[in-house]
Amino acid sequence: MPYDWIKSIGRVMKVLGGQMRGLDRIPFFALIDEQFISRIMGITTREILSSPETYANCLIKTAEFIQADTIQIPSAYAGPAEAYAFAEVNNKMDSIQWYDYQPIAIKQGDVCKTEEDIEKLEIPDHSKIDLWETTFRTANIIKDKIKFPQGMGVSIWSVVQELRGVDAFKDIRRNPDLLLKLCEKIYESQLDAYNHWSEKVNAPPLIMYTGYAFNKHMMSFEDAMKYEGQFIKRFQKKIKAPFLLHNCGTKPYFKEICREIDFIAVNGSHPLDIEYWIDFQREFPKVTIMGANIDVSRELLTGTSQDVEEKVKENIVNLAPGGRYVVSPICCLPWGVSLPNVFAITKAIEKYGKYPIN
Amino acid sequence: MSAEEILTRLKDAIVEGDPGKSSLVVNEAIAQALDLKDILNEAVIKAAEEVGTLYEKEEYFLADLLMTGDALKAVMDVLKPKLSQQSEIKPQGSILIGTVQGDIHDIGKSLVVSLLNGQGFSVIDLGSDVPPEIFVEKAKEIKPDVIGLSGLLTSSISKMHETIILLKKAGIPSKIIIGGGTVSKASCVMIGADDCSKEGHEGIKKIKNMIQNI
Repeated sequence: MPYDWIKSIGRVMKVLGGQMRGLDRIPFFALIDEQFISRIMGITTREILSSPETYANCLIKTAEFIQADTIQIPSAYAGPAEAYAFAEVNNKMDSIQWYDYQPIAIKQGDVCKTEEDIEKLEIPDHSKIDLWETTFRTANIIKDKIKFPQGMGVSIWSVVQELRGVDAFKDIRRNPDLLLKLCEKIYESQLDAYNHWSEKVNAPPLIMYTGYAFNKHMMSFEDAMKYEGQFIKRFQKKIKAPFLLHNCGTKPYFKEICREIDFIAVNGSHPLDIEYWIDFQREFPKVTIMGANIDVSRELLTGTSQDVEEKVKENIVNLAPGGRYVVSPICCLPWGVSLPNVFAITKAIEKYGKYPIN
Repeated sequence: MSAEEILTRLKDAIVEGDPGKSSLVVNEAIAQALDLKDILNEAVIKAAEEVGTLYEKEEYFLADLLMTGDALKAVMDVLKPKLSQQSEIKPQGSILIGTVQGDIHDIGKSLVVSLLNGQGFSVIDLGSDVPPEIFVEKAKEIKPDVIGLSGLLTSSISKMHETIILLKKAGIPSKIIIGGGTVSKASCVMIGADDCSKEGHEGIKKIKNMIQNI
């Protein structure tokens, strides 16, 4: 029987829109990256990215294999792929590291080692970057094949970290103007990616914003607003799509940022205390919680299927009865995760996550 | 200016994260022939403690830790040659550290290196994407008290495991700490590390504890 993507799309749209009518069960949102795809498909990252057809096929098959309700292209996420674009246009491709079974990585801080590097940093035209061109075409194939409209990822700070490395944090204190200059260039670049996406794929129905600056151990909330938050507000004026905030950090400012900026959903795994998420739902009843305290580095990676089932159940029981909850292991499914643990997620959804939830 | 005032100025320069000022004041302290032990105990260690407290109270953040790390390093660069001449004052301990093979993330590791350097530890940073064999080779050579294996990717856990197996097979007695956003107590136990830390400042505290307990 073919995988019912239409039903999955409906499920996701209903939950994000806060509709309970006709909602059969809680959706499963899984972030699948090259390391998990390569494990399931048995091919290397280079092979996965060798053509849009292969890339799309691998993504669809992997998502169907674990019975996910969502599908998103890992290279449409504004971290390494955006750093790759900057590296290519600034002749720093020797900073890029390819691995057989992992996503492309960049030597953090190599592209913007000096102030001059930032001053002279060229903003990429994403239509001329091979990786992005592959990504645009992959998105179209997925959209045509399974009718799943493709969203894209945007971020400032995750790209800052890739380009400037540890010096970015020192710049917060010693050279904030220079740091803001870099943020501005990344902002322009992200708008370029968005414009090409809108033109070549579709107007993104959803923007997945990766907000790593919004972590207490990274920086104060004021600094996070300065180097990330103000740019989200500016993006939201230009991009007429709802924003989902992804933050897999361990000390996130979820409540604080949701008091300042509108998000349709938050995707996080910390704090680990379920009470935080119950409070969050009480304070922000219209914001969908994707994940709560299901964490890839704990029960999913090192626990048993029973542990995973219990964790998913805890989240469903506490957060799903009124809707606006999506089961998500947050962050990418880890390398080495036991597949029965991944399947335990969908089993738990089937067992406890059918509406109406008692 | 009294010795007490100089030491207070030095402590403040470190807490403010000002490498230029801390270097200037420590040289002033040396010129005034202040006791090295007093410089360490009354300025350097007290500053490090104050920074730790400010971080825990969420008044200081990663940027502040890095800047104070630079200020500490500037002080230790001046003090180290003099400390080595005084046999009764030894380095706080030695640490071999690196991001494991297959992972080139180095922000967390660099933070730990910066703070450890600043606090008088002897640190050998192997960089990122370090093969297990290099950890073993260097550990045999420098015999560190603690080996720190860093990584951000979940796949790094497997590589940390592989590195620990090789280190143990080679009979390296050093304590091993793993660090990074995806490590957990469970993965630490699973791969045979002695401890773990998800973030830099906590890692420093654990490394200090490990060394104190050796």
